[in-house]
Amino acid sequence: MDRSDVIVIGAGLLGCFLARALRRQGLSVIVLEQSDDVCTGISRSGSGIVYPGYDMAPGSLKAALTVRSCRDFPALCRDLSVNYRACGSLMTGAGPRAEAVIRRKYVDGVKNGVPGLELLDGDACRRMEPLLSANITCGLYAPGTCAVNPWELGIAAFENARDNGARFVFSEKVTALSRQAEGFSVCTENGAYTCRDLINAAGLSADSVHELISRPSVRLKVTGADYLLLEDGSADALSHVIFHEPEEKGKGLTLIPTADGNLLIGPTERDVPSSGDDALYPAGGTDPAGPGHNGPQWAGAPTEASGIRWLRERCHEVVPELDTEKVLRSFGAARPRPYLTGADQNKSLRDFVILEEEQFYSLIGIKTPGMTCAAALGEHLAAIIAQNRGIREPDPAFDPIRKRPVIPRECSFEERQVLVRSHPAYGRILCACRDVTEGEVRDAVHRGATTVEAVRRRTGAMMGTCQGGRCLAEIQEVIQDELGC
Amino acid sequence: MSWDVNVLVVGGGAAGMAAALALAEAGASVVMADPGEKPGGILNRCVHRGFGQGLFGEDLTGQEYAARFRRLLRESSVTVRPRTTVLSILPDRTAVLSGPGRLEKISFERCILAAGSYERTPQSLLLGGTRPAGVYTAGCVQGLVHEYGQDIGQRIVFLGSGDVGQILAAQLAAAGKQVLAMVEQKDRPGGLPRNRREYLEAANIPLILQSTVTRLHGDRHLTGVTICHLPTGKESFLSCDTLITATGLIPDRRLADPLMKDGKLPEWLIPVGNCRRIYDIVDVLAADSRKLALIPQ
Ligand SMILES: Cc1cc2nc3c(=O)[nH]c(=O)nc-3n(C[C@H](O)[C@H](O)[C@H](O)COP(=O)(O)OP(=O)(O)OC[C@H]3O[C@@H](n4cnc5c(N)ncnc54)[C@H](O)[C@@H]3O)c2cc1C
Ligand SMILES: Cc1cc2nc3c(=O)[nH]c(=O)nc-3n(C[C@H](O)[C@H](O)[C@H](O)COP(=O)(O)OP(=O)(O)OC[C@H]3O[C@@H](n4cnc5c(N)ncnc54)[C@H](O)[C@@H]3O)c2cc1C
Repeated sequence: MDRSDVIVIGAGLLGCFLARALRRQGLSVIVLEQSDDVCTGISRSGSGIVYPGYDMAPGSLKAALTVRSCRDFPALCRDLSVNYRACGSLMTGAGPRAEAVIRRKYVDGVKNGVPGLELLDGDACRRMEPLLSANITCGLYAPGTCAVNPWELGIAAFENARDNGARFVFSEKVTALSRQAEGFSVCTENGAYTCRDLINAAGLSADSVHELISRPSVRLKVTGADYLLLEDGSADALSHVIFHEPEEKGKGLTLIPTADGNLLIGPTERDVPSSGDDALYPAGGTDPAGPGHNGPQWAGAPTEASGIRWLRERCHEVVPELDTEKVLRSFGAARPRPYLTGADQNKSLRDFVILEEEQFYSLIGIKTPGMTCAAALGEHLAAIIAQNRGIREPDPAFDPIRKRPVIPRECSFEERQVLVRSHPAYGRILCACRDVTEGEVRDAVHRGATTVEAVRRRTGAMMGTCQGGRCLAEIQEVIQDELGC
Repeated sequence: MSWDVNVLVVGGGAAGMAAALALAEAGASVVMADPGEKPGGILNRCVHRGFGQGLFGEDLTGQEYAARFRRLLRESSVTVRPRTTVLSILPDRTAVLSGPGRLEKISFERCILAAGSYERTPQSLLLGGTRPAGVYTAGCVQGLVHEYGQDIGQRIVFLGSGDVGQILAAQLAAAGKQVLAMVEQKDRPGGLPRNRREYLEAANIPLILQSTVTRLHGDRHLTGVTICHLPTGKESFLSCDTLITATGLIPDRRLADPLMKDGKLPEWLIPVGNCRRIYDIVDVLAADSRKLALIPQ
C-alpha cells in the first residue's frame, strides 16, 4: 500500500499548488486525479484574470488572499516561468446604477488595500481604451490586474511540484475514504493509499467526495458559462481587461486580451440541467481511444448559441466597433455555486470554504478568483498542516524555480539558429499557425503529456487559425513515435 | 544590391511547383520551401483521380500528379527545401526559413507566395453543445487517413456537400465506414456534376438538404449531432461518432498581411494558386501560376 504524509484528491489548479506548497514544507504528497492530465476540470476553462481584489467583502479571507496574490503574482510567474500580460483592468459603466456599483467597489478596494485604484470619468476611460462606447460614463482603473493562461499556470505548478518530489497518479478515481487509527485510508478504482492528512480538492465533485467520509454540509450547484475566443492577434484591440457593469442588474461582460494574443469574451451565466444530454460532462476518465490519440476534451459544459448571441450583443454596446465575426472558437465552462445544506439551506456562500475536521480538509466550490488565489490557498493550507505537525522551517531542499521549456519563437534569430543547429527537431515547424516545432512537441511528451490534447495545452500547437486542421496528423505521428505506440 | 536568390517560392503545392519550374526555365535562380517531406501540398492527400487531363492528357490521382511535377523539379535547377517553413517575409526582401537543423535568412529579388489555403474550422461555426473529440475538417481527415494511415470513427456525418466532402465521403464509404448523411444548407448539393455522379450517387450517400448541424452531443467523444431543417426550424437528432466539415477553403495570406500597405502588396510579392483565390481544377491553377510568375515586374 502507498503511504504518504498527505494525499490530495484532484489535480486542478488547487491540487497542483497544494502539492507544491506541501513539498515546500517537506511533507510527502500523493495527488490522485481521475483524469489523464492536470487542470481538466473547472481549471481548464476560466477567464484567466488575476483579480486585483476590490470585488471581495472587506475582512474576508477571499479579500486578503486576492490582494496578496495579485501583488505577488509577477514573482510567482517569474519562479514558475509562466507568461502573463500585466495589462491592468478597467471596470466600466454607463449610468447611475453602474456608477454607484463602481464607487462602492472603489471604497471596498481601498479598504482591502488594493494599490493604485483610480475612479475615472467616461472621457478618461476612452483615452485609455479608444474603442469604448461613447455611452460609457465612468470607470475604475486597477493597474495590478493581469491575464494568464489558467492551464499554463497549473501545468507549471504541477511540474515544479513533481520535480520537487510530489507524486501525481492519473486515471485514479477516488471511490471510498475511511478513517484509521492514524489518518486515512483512500481507495481508488485501482488501488489503495494511506496518509495522515487528507485534502479534498475535487472541484465540481468536492461535495460528493466530502460526503464519502463526512456529513453533508456544503453542496454545489453547477451553472454554465459561454465564452467566445476571437482570432489570433485580436487582443491588440484592447490594452486592458474590461469589466462592464450593466445598467440593469444582471450579468456583466468581460473582455480579456489574453496572454496568447486573442480576445476572450465572456462569460455568460445560465443553468445547466443536472441530467440528460446537455448536462455537465461527467468529468474525468481516460481517453477511450488510448494514449497518443486525438484526445478527449475533458469536463466542461455545453455551449449555447443564445449565449454567444448575448455576448455579441453586449460587446456591441461596450465596444461598438469591435469585429466579433472572426472567431477562433467558442466553448462552455462549468461553474460551481456552493450553498449550505440543513438549517441555512440554499444560502449561497461568498467566501472561500475550507472545511476542517481532524486532519481532513475540504475545499468546496472554490470559485472566482480561485485561480488568482490558488498558490496562496495552497500555502495557507500547507502552513496549517505543517504547524499541526510541528514543522517550523520550510524544507531547504525545495526549489521553487521551474525552468521554462525551450520555445524557439521566444528566441532571437541568432539564439534560435544556435538551437536549431544543435537540436535539429527545433527547426522543423509542425504547427505553422502558432510556430510550434517538433522539438517542443517531443519535449511536451517528455514532460508527461500522453494525448494530443495534453500536447496542445503544453505547446500551443493546434490552437491557432486552422485549429489543427493542417497539422493534427503530423503531430499525432510525432507523439506516437515518442510514446512508442 | 545582390540577392541570395532571384526568386523565393513559399510553398510547394501545385502552384509553387508550377511557378518554380517556369521561373527556372526562364533562367532564374529559385529556392522553393515547403514543410512537407516531399513537395505536393494537398495533392499528396488526394488519392482519387481527376487530375491532369488538361496538362498531361491523362486522368491521374493527385499523388500521381504531384509525382509528375516532382520529376520535372528534379530535372530542373530549382533548389527544393523540404520540411522547411517560411516563418516570416520582411519588407527588406528577406525571409526567415526554418527546417530541421537549419534556420536561415534568405534575401530575394521576388517572392512567389504559394502557401495554399486553410479550411474553415468546425470550431469557428459556433455550434451549440459540447466539445467532444471526433470532429474534423475534411482536409484533416484526408491527411490522417491517406497520408498518415491513422483511423477515425465508424459512423460519419458530413457537413457541407462540396467536391472535397463528396470525394472523401465516397472514399470512406468504400473503406467500410458508414456515411450516415451529408448535410447541406442549400437546396441542392455543391460540387462539380461529374463528382456528384461519380461519388455521391455511386456511393449512395443520403443527402439532407436545406439543413445544417446546430449542436454537438457527447462528453468525451461525439455521440450525435442535432440537425436543423432551415425552412421549418425543425430539429432532429442523428446518432454518429464522427462529424466531418467541408465548409470551404480560405486563402492563406497570413505571411503577406504584415506587408500590406494601403490595401496593396509590394510588387515583388506575388500570390499564386489557392493562396490567390480558390481553384477547382489544378491544371487551371498550374497554368495561372506559371503565367503570374513570369509576368515581368
Ligand atoms: C467560468 C469560470 C471563470 C473563472 N474565471 C476566473 C478568473 O478569471 N480568475 C480566477 O482567479 N479564477 C477564475 N475562476 C475560478 C477558478 O477557475 C477555480 O477557482 C479553479 O480553477 C478551481 O480549481 P480546482 O482545483 O478547485 O478545481 P478543478 O480544476 O475542477 O480540479 C478538481 C479536480 O479533481 C478531480 N476529481 C474530482 N473528483 C475526483 C475523484 N473522486 N478522484 C480523483 N479526482 C477527482 C477532477 O477531475 C479535477 O481535475 C473561474 C471559474 C469559472 C468556472
Ligand atoms: C480535396 C480536394 C480535391 C480536389 N480535387 C481536384 C480534382 O479532382 N481535380 C483537379 O483538377 N483539382 C482538384 N482540386 C484542386 C487542386 O488540387 C488544388 O486547388 C491545388 O492542388 C492547390 O494547390 P496550391 O499549391 O495552391 O495549394 P496547396 O496544395 O495547399 O499547397 C500549399 C503549400 O504551401 C505550404 N505552405 C504553407 N505555408 C507555408 C509556409 N509558411 N512556408 C512554406 N510552405 C508553406 C503548404 O504546406 C502546402 O504544401 C482538389 C482540391 C482539394 C482540396
